[in-house]
Amino acid sequence: MKTVVIAGWLVLLAGPATRGQAPPQPPPQKVEGLETRVGELEKQVEEMRARQGAESEAGESRLPFSGYMDFHFNKPRGEPGQLDFHRFVLLFGHSFSDRIKFWSELELEHALVEGREEKGELELEQAYLDFLLTPYLSFRGGILLAPVGLINERHEPPSFNGVERPFVDTVILPSTWFDSGVGVFGDLGGGFLYKFYLMSPLDATGFDAQEGVRGGRQKGFQSSFRNVAQTGRLEYRGLPRLTAGASFWRGHTGFNLPGINPRVRVAEVDGRYRVGRFDFRGQFAQVDISRAEELNRALQQENGVNPNVAERLRGFYWESAAGLFPRRWKHELVAFARYESFDTQNKMPAGFQPLKQFDRSAWVTGLTYYPEPDVALKFDYTFLRNASSVVRAVNSLNFGIGWWF
Amino acid sequence: MLIRSGLLLVLAAAWPGGLAGETRVVRLVAERFAFVPSQVKVPAGTVVEFRITSEDTNHGFRLPQAGINAVVPKRGKGELKVTYRAERPGRYVFECSKPCGAGHNVMRGVLIVE
Repeated sequence: MKTVVIAGWLVLLAGPATRGQAPPQPPPQKVEGLETRVGELEKQVEEMRARQGAESEAGESRLPFSGYMDFHFNKPRGEPGQLDFHRFVLLFGHSFSDRIKFWSELELEHALVEGREEKGELELEQAYLDFLLTPYLSFRGGILLAPVGLINERHEPPSFNGVERPFVDTVILPSTWFDSGVGVFGDLGGGFLYKFYLMSPLDATGFDAQEGVRGGRQKGFQSSFRNVAQTGRLEYRGLPRLTAGASFWRGHTGFNLPGINPRVRVAEVDGRYRVGRFDFRGQFAQVDISRAEELNRALQQENGVNPNVAERLRGFYWESAAGLFPRRWKHELVAFARYESFDTQNKMPAGFQPLKQFDRSAWVTGLTYYPEPDVALKFDYTFLRNASSVVRAVNSLNFGIGWWF
Repeated sequence: MLIRSGLLLVLAAAWPGGLAGETRVVRLVAERFAFVPSQVKVPAGTVVEFRITSEDTNHGFRLPQAGINAVVPKRGKGELKVTYRAERPGRYVFECSKPCGAGHNVMRGVLIVE
C-alpha cells in the first residue's frame, strides 16, 4: 500500500508522459530531485511505523476473559445417581503491554461453598504475571499450574474425552495441580518448548493410600516455601497435530513433620497425535516417595490411623478416538475407548502391605458429541476393576455437558 | 511511458526487497497453546500469505508490526487468510490474541525476515 502511495507521488511529480513523441531524457537534476523525494517518503514511512509500534507497546488490552463449565450426572452401579455442577470457571487476563501480561483462573467446584462443611471449593488455580522477553526466555511468577502431564494445563472440558478426567490424572498426577511459584519458559526452536518452575512443595501430611499425593497439594494457601520444589516440562510441537512431552517434579515434602522430610519425585511422559479422523493419546506417570516407612509411622502417631502411603505409585493410560460424522457436517460425534491402569500401592515400604483395592484398572468407553467445537455433550460407561478379592470396584454410568467460551 | 518505467526502477532500487516480492503461502495450525510451526523464515521482500486453521477453539492471530489482529475460526469452520509484506529484516513476534486457556500468554511464534 505504502509502495503504491509512493509510486503515486512519483507519478504526480513526473507529470504526464507524452504519447507518440520520442521520449525525452529527464534532466539529471530532475532524477536527483526524485531520488531525494523517494528518500524523504521512505523516512516518513519509517517514522509512521515507529509511531505505530510505540502506540502498540503503550496500549493496554484490558480484561479479556473467558471460562468453562462442567455439569455432570454420575450413576455408580447400585447407588443413586447424582447431578453435580462440577466446575464453574472464569478466566481473566490483562495485557499491561505486549511484554507484561496477567492471567488468572478462578474456579468454583460443586456449586456451593459453605464454612466448616465438606462442600464445594472456591479455588484460585492460576494468577500470574508473565514477563515476555524473547521467544527463548520469559519469566513468570504467581500461582502456577505444575507443567506436568497432558491434562493439568489443558483441562477445558471439550479438550478431552470422558465425563471425568482420566484416573491417572487424578490419583497419580494430582490434577488440577497448582501452587505458588516462579519460573522461566520459552520456545527453543524446532518445535521444542520448555518450562521450568520453582514451586511450593507438597505437604506429606496429606498423603494417603487411595489418592497418593493428591491430599498434599497446598493450593497456594499460605504455602510453605521451605524446601522449594522444582518442576519442568519439555514438549515437542514441531508437527501439526502432534504433542509429545516429558515432565518432572521433585521436592521435599516434610515441612509439617518433625524429624523426617520425605522426598517426592514425579516422572511422566505423554503423547497425543491426530491423523485423519483418529485421535490417539497416552501417558505414563510414576511417583516415588522416600522414607515412606517413617512417614507412615509418624502420621499414625499423629492421627491414630496408618495412611499406608506407598514408596511408589504408578499409572498409565492410552486412548483411541474416532470421528464418526463426515467432515462436511457441522457437528461432530467422537467415539472413544480408554484403558487405564493406576496403582497407588505399587511398591510398599518394608513392614507395610499393599491395599489391593487401590491397584486398579478401568475401561472408559463412550461418545462425545460436539454441536460446535466449544460445546461437548459427553456420555461414558466406566468399567472399574481392582486387585482385591474383598473390596469390589463399582462401575459407573456418566453423562456430562462441558463448554468453553 | 519511459519516464514512468524509469521512476518505478528508481523506486524498486530505493525500496528494500523491490516492488514485486515473491508471494509465499505459510500454513499455520493453531492449537492450545501453540502455533505450528512457531518459527517462519522468509527472505526480505516476500509477501507472506498466512493461512491459519485451528484444531480446537477459535484463537487470535496478532502480528503487531503489520497491524494484523484477526480471529482464527474454530476447528472445521474454515481458515484465516492474512497477508503481510515482509520488507525489513528482523524478528517479528506473532501471538494469540483471543483468550484460549491456561497457556494463552505463551501461544506465540516468530516471523524471521532475513
